[in-house]
Amino acid sequence: MKIAPILFVATILTGSAHAADLTVSVRGPDGKPVSDAVVTVYPNGQPTRGPIKFDWPYRVAQRNIQFTPFVLIVPAGAEVSFPNLDKVRHHVYSFSDGNKFELKLYGREESRSVRLSAVGVAAIGCNIHDQMVGFIKVVDTAYAAKSDAGGVAVIHGLPDGPVVAKVWHPYLRAPKNEKTLALTAVRGAARETATIELRPGGH
Amino acid sequence: MFKRLQTKLTVLYAGLFALALSLVAVSVYLTIANNAQQQVRGELAATGTVFDSVWALRTQRLRDGADLLSRDFGFRAAVATRDAPTVDSAVTNLRQRMGLELAFMVGIDGDVVGVDPAKIDIGKLWSALDHEDGAQGVFVVDGAPYQLISAPVMSPNLTGWIVFGARLDDREMTALEQLAAIRLDAQVFDRRGETWVTTDKTADAKALGALVATATAAGKAVSAPTRLRTAAGDNLVLVKRLKTLDGQTPAALVLRYPMALAMAPYQPLMAAVFIAVLAGAALVVAASWALSRDIARPIAALEDAARRLRRGEAVHVDVRSSDEIGHLSDSFNLMAAEIREREVRITELALRDAETGLPNHLAMEREIEARMARLAPGEQVVVGALGLDRFTVLRSAIGYALFNQLVAEIGARIQVIDPEAVVGRLTTSTLCVISRLTALTDEIVPHIEKALVDLAAPVRLGGELVDVHMTNGLAAAEAGTIDAPRLIEQAMIALDQARACGRKVSIFDAAAYGDPASNLSLMSEMLQGVATGALFLHHQPKLDLRSGAITGLEALVRWAHPTRGLLRPDLFVGMAEETGHIRALTDCVIDRAILDQRALREVGHDLTISINISGRLIDDAEFADRAIEKIAAAGARFCFEITETAVIGNPDVALGVLAKLNAAGIPVSIDDYGSGLSSLAYLKQINAEELKIDKAFVLSLENDAKDALLVKSTIDLAHSLGLKVTAEGVESRQALAMLQMMGCDLAQGYHIARPMALDKLVVFLGDWQISNPLPVGEGGARRAAVGG
Repeated sequence: MKIAPILFVATILTGSAHAADLTVSVRGPDGKPVSDAVVTVYPNGQPTRGPIKFDWPYRVAQRNIQFTPFVLIVPAGAEVSFPNLDKVRHHVYSFSDGNKFELKLYGREESRSVRLSAVGVAAIGCNIHDQMVGFIKVVDTAYAAKSDAGGVAVIHGLPDGPVVAKVWHPYLRAPKNEKTLALTAVRGAARETATIELRPGGH
Repeated sequence: MFKRLQTKLTVLYAGLFALALSLVAVSVYLTIANNAQQQVRGELAATGTVFDSVWALRTQRLRDGADLLSRDFGFRAAVATRDAPTVDSAVTNLRQRMGLELAFMVGIDGDVVGVDPAKIDIGKLWSALDHEDGAQGVFVVDGAPYQLISAPVMSPNLTGWIVFGARLDDREMTALEQLAAIRLDAQVFDRRGETWVTTDKTADAKALGALVATATAAGKAVSAPTRLRTAAGDNLVLVKRLKTLDGQTPAALVLRYPMALAMAPYQPLMAAVFIAVLAGAALVVAASWALSRDIARPIAALEDAARRLRRGEAVHVDVRSSDEIGHLSDSFNLMAAEIREREVRITELALRDAETGLPNHLAMEREIEARMARLAPGEQVVVGALGLDRFTVLRSAIGYALFNQLVAEIGARIQVIDPEAVVGRLTTSTLCVISRLTALTDEIVPHIEKALVDLAAPVRLGGELVDVHMTNGLAAAEAGTIDAPRLIEQAMIALDQARACGRKVSIFDAAAYGDPASNLSLMSEMLQGVATGALFLHHQPKLDLRSGAITGLEALVRWAHPTRGLLRPDLFVGMAEETGHIRALTDCVIDRAILDQRALREVGHDLTISINISGRLIDDAEFADRAIEKIAAAGARFCFEITETAVIGNPDVALGVLAKLNAAGIPVSIDDYGSGLSSLAYLKQINAEELKIDKAFVLSLENDAKDALLVKSTIDLAHSLGLKVTAEGVESRQALAMLQMMGCDLAQGYHIARPMALDKLVVFLGDWQISNPLPVGEGGARRAAVGG
């Protein structure tokens, strides 16, 4: 696999002495913002100990024969619900290692839940509708965020100190679709730009 | 170029027609070939398009299969969970169901399931699959080109590719070939390194590979059909680029069609055209041969007739056509007949004497020639020339017309006497008779004399009787000795000889006639004789009548001809004068005389030698100068004898020369006095010492009183002028005595001595001195001496 060179530009902004926000701007080689990229930061390179709680619902709905959201970040061991908001039935599955599951045909307004215990990625699809693809990023750090339509991912309350920062995207052209950022330490609020190359065709 | 008209016409027509037919045949062939090629080109292009469709259809079929499998949930589950045996079995299952040669799975991590990884260049394949979604195209697997179709396996993200392959082998190509309307040959080439190879085992794969390389290098997807000539034949080749899986290793579809196949349907047509051309050409050759023969044959006949006409043959051309050649032949025949008629008349005129109707001179010659040709050995043709005497008298008396009648009458009479004789006319007054006799002897003469009497009977002409006198000359010759004109000439000469002798009949006397022809080269021979000493002198002694001693000699030239013997001077001296050789002759005589005089002196005889100088030399001062010089140098004693008439031509020069001679002490003697135009005036002018009386007077001295008187008075005249007198031609004792009585000084003649050679002269002079020691008073003693 061809690995594109990564252009890494870090700009360290002064912020609070103990905890500050890290803003990572994810862009393609052409400079356009890339959404649905997951930035994970490991302070001192260590996973977070203890339970992790994100402030967004652990839910992947099926609406208009699409998974919504396309990418969902959940902590390991979280229970993710798959409500069917369509009129048709779906057959949601994942063949991903450690996170294999299969939710056989279920209908409208029905919801199924699956506990995802393995850190990694669960690529989800619908056996009936090939075009339906979604990803659940199962993380073991509390510092994770997904880039928005503007390609910006903000991680709140990141303590100062050395860090290992990674960016992941389902179509990122790198082993395990993941790339480590050049950022090695943060002090206060910081801004970071991550440039990544995606596979053409979206897989 | 061509010697015969027929050949010329045939070659021309046949050649033109053959040329036209060849042009037709060539254009037919070119059109057909072009057409066939055009057709094949179209077909190749169409087949190329068909191939596209076939290719697209199969691609679709393979893709459908791949897609079907790649989306199967169970399969995807197997792939995602890396259940290799399940994947392998699923792939195999679908491969068998679709009847494919190749089906395998390539994982996104490069794992290959369903095929031996060693047979595939995995790196290249993975790149191609990764590079393009659903990549497809030609790819070499295990050394053979395959059409590969890939489909991604999504579960739901990309986990690998399912790849199906159809081998582009002979079977596949055969299927494609069968789709084409024409029996073309399809092959797939792919490039390995720098060479293009094919799995097809064709003889000219190498040449085709080169062609493919060229065609693909041009960069076009489809090349224009190209002609390819190889050992296997002439082909039309279309090269179509094939899409390859990786887009780097090129491959091409090659459609080939042998031109021979394209031309095959036209073979019967071309054969028919060829046969038609050959048959047409043969027909034209035959037709123009026949036509030109009809034209040329009469012309050849005319040409042959003209040649025979030229040789004098009677000819008639038998051409019965009513065209121009027919008219020409008729005209020719008419002309030939007229020529023949005229020729007969001309021949008749040429051989006949128009005035008498008798055969003419030419006719007689021909008759003689004809007879000579028929003669047996030893036989002769006898010819008589019968001349009418007194021609001029007769003609004046009776006129020319009657004279011709007379000649004709005589001719008729001869025929009556001898019906076998042939009579013709030679000249106006001479008839020619070719006798039946085969030998001419003197016994015949009396017979002819008798016959002449009969012939000479008076002839009645215009109511008057005319007397005829005739003389006959005879000549005869055997075959091969002389020709006819010469024989006639001899008869004419015999006639002249007869008349000269006053005889009625005479046979040709060759001896009397001599041979004028033999004198033609005489002068050059004489000059040769001067050089070789064949010319020498005889000397005739001159007797002094007072002392009885021999006091002088006259030198007379003689010529011992190598083939003709001793020649008389009158035979060549006159000719030498005529031809300007007299000077050389005289020089020779002077030289010999000097030698002879010296020889005589040595034996005690000192005698003056008289030398005859021609009248033509007497006015030649240069001759005189040289002669004087030569004589003075030799100390010779000479006397020059000249005739009076010699002086008449150019008197001034001649008298000057004589004076010069006198001054040099060379006396001059006037020769032959009295025979020519003796002029007293010249006698007076010429300063001479001696006068010689011509022998004509001396010979008849005894019998003719007048001559005696003339000689006496001449002697007296000469003496009066102070000249000595010599008498020539003294042949008798009486004459000698009379001359002595008349007071003549010297005598010369046979009675004294003949001209003799030097040796005989020496003997004669010796004898003379013994018998005549003293002056002679009487001739008796002298005569005794002369008798020796």
